[in-house]
Amino acid sequence: MNLTVNGREHEITSPPLTPLLHVLREELEITSPKAGCQQGGCGTCTVLVDGEPRRSCLTAVATVDGASITTLEGLGEAESLSPLQAAFHELYAAQCGFCTPGMIVASTALLERVGGPVDRDDVLDALGGHYCRCTGYVKIVDAVMAASRGEVGTVGDLPSSEEGEPDVAIKGSPA
Amino acid sequence: MKAVGARLPRYDGVGHVTGRTQYVDDVRVGRVLWAKALRSPHDHAAITKLDTSKAESMKGVHAIITSADVPRNVYGHLEGLGVPGDEPLLADGEVRYKGQPIAVVAAESEEAAMAAVDAIEVAYEPRPALFDIRTALDPDAPQIHPWGNVYPHYGPYNHRRVRKGDVDAAFDKADFIVEGVYRPQAIEQMPMETQVALCVPEANGRLTIYSCTQAMYFSMGVVAAHLEVPLNKLKFIGGTVGGGFGGKVDTATDTICALLALKSRKAVKWRWTREEEFLVSSTRAAWHIELADAVTKDGWILGRRTLTLHDSGAYARFSPYGLTKHAFHHSGAYTIPNLHFDGFVAFTNRVPSTAMRGFGVTSVSFATETHLNRIASVIGVDPWELRLKNANRIGDTTGNGVALQDPSTVAVTLAAADRVGIELGAEYRQMDSEPRTGALLPEHLVAQQRLNAEAH
Repeated sequence: MNLTVNGREHEITSPPLTPLLHVLREELEITSPKAGCQQGGCGTCTVLVDGEPRRSCLTAVATVDGASITTLEGLGEAESLSPLQAAFHELYAAQCGFCTPGMIVASTALLERVGGPVDRDDVLDALGGHYCRCTGYVKIVDAVMAASRGEVGTVGDLPSSEEGEPDVAIKGSPA
Repeated sequence: MKAVGARLPRYDGVGHVTGRTQYVDDVRVGRVLWAKALRSPHDHAAITKLDTSKAESMKGVHAIITSADVPRNVYGHLEGLGVPGDEPLLADGEVRYKGQPIAVVAAESEEAAMAAVDAIEVAYEPRPALFDIRTALDPDAPQIHPWGNVYPHYGPYNHRRVRKGDVDAAFDKADFIVEGVYRPQAIEQMPMETQVALCVPEANGRLTIYSCTQAMYFSMGVVAAHLEVPLNKLKFIGGTVGGGFGGKVDTATDTICALLALKSRKAVKWRWTREEEFLVSSTRAAWHIELADAVTKDGWILGRRTLTLHDSGAYARFSPYGLTKHAFHHSGAYTIPNLHFDGFVAFTNRVPSTAMRGFGVTSVSFATETHLNRIASVIGVDPWELRLKNANRIGDTTGNGVALQDPSTVAVTLAAADRVGIELGAEYRQMDSEPRTGALLPEHLVAQQRLNAEAH
């Protein structure tokens, strides 16, 4: 079996019925998809399979042989955050951060599909199966909408750093 | 002070949005053994047989621990505060709640560990179980512990007491006595990250423990106590927690991982399933709260009697402390000069309860606030005005005798009324927290202030 994960091709040696989540975490050591419930209920394990959000904990790896997988690691690095990553950061849409990988991955599919500004109902529909125990969702939904409108990097209004203070600008934000 | 009021980026924000934040389950240390627990299927039972020999010889199994492997099996989370230990790390001869761990296996995969758990030979003799704290003190109730069904160590008493003023006199003077029973139920904290630990035995004899704990040095002390090792044998790495909400104050996985790592001489990870998190991890306590308030027809609360039963589940953990906080807050944000409070930490065969946001306080706040609405409806006064009239002010004293210097009840109540569009009479709108005078200093509070003055 083969998987292309975040643009890199891998030969997979796990047994065919191994959940994709375990292949990613244990065989490939890609750890942003989380084992929040391992029964398809919480959304923390969500990855993109050929662009579509899927619960990797319920996906036997054999059923996605040859597919292209995208996890949060593949969406952007600290220096090159995607608009959604920047929005989640600037608008404080992550608290403990454990649900964040699934939230951003699923939202990425939504924005790709719509291709322009999304409204609140679009976001609620796309993230309906994702639990966040910390933030109460409002900031998450706001961040997705802001990213879809291209407002990232302006809505945060972060102060510029002064000498001797840590740099508070968010690098890579498409201001 | 430039940071105050400014929108600053979270120090861990970029890690969270790039998937680089490393939670315990994400730490990579090469191959690890996976732990799985044999848990009691009974709420209350004697363990009549426990034989791990067949399981130990199974393929992929590296270690199995039972109570016999724990240097100090019985320990209490509050021993540092003088609360005697009552909870075995692994059940020894008796189980007191469904899901209580009896033995834990470390094997090369979760599947191998589960298979070994299933191969452990165990037999039980079920005992009657107790679930209703209202019957915990009945003479014929099932006995949970050798010392009985209530935590017995509140000084000379088996319950937490508050005594203030003369409650009998207050009830004699009352125009109304308003009674109510409030029963807030257990709640699971439900972090998205389930309980998890990873322990790596180091070449120098120390243990490195990656912990999801909310209370690092506390957990370190708990592990050291069970293992009977000095703290310098333990290196704790933590601080990155996938949600806790109080549920990760108890040390759930660290000690077991440490013991399995010592026995197998390999790195051991124990990651609870979502089912374990819901069924076995500690919850917020359930409570039974009985209030009776002596009230005048113009809306003064002269006195309060309270009986609280705190459902600790099978073991004490932090409940004695939670009930103490409950007692301190039992008159709410209001000035009640005559108080009589008895609170019991009652044991049942439920999962042990523990901390959750506002530990011990939210339950009694729910009771107090609901009760104030009930009083308002019984005597026919406005519930906002009832609150503002009896609200704590500078110079008022709490149930446990603290003279208040900066109470915020009036300001908070006025702001809340404003937010929800409640129109209050002018005399209430203009209230502040300054010391009582005039109509806000009725005779029953004059007496209290005189007593305060004499005491100081």
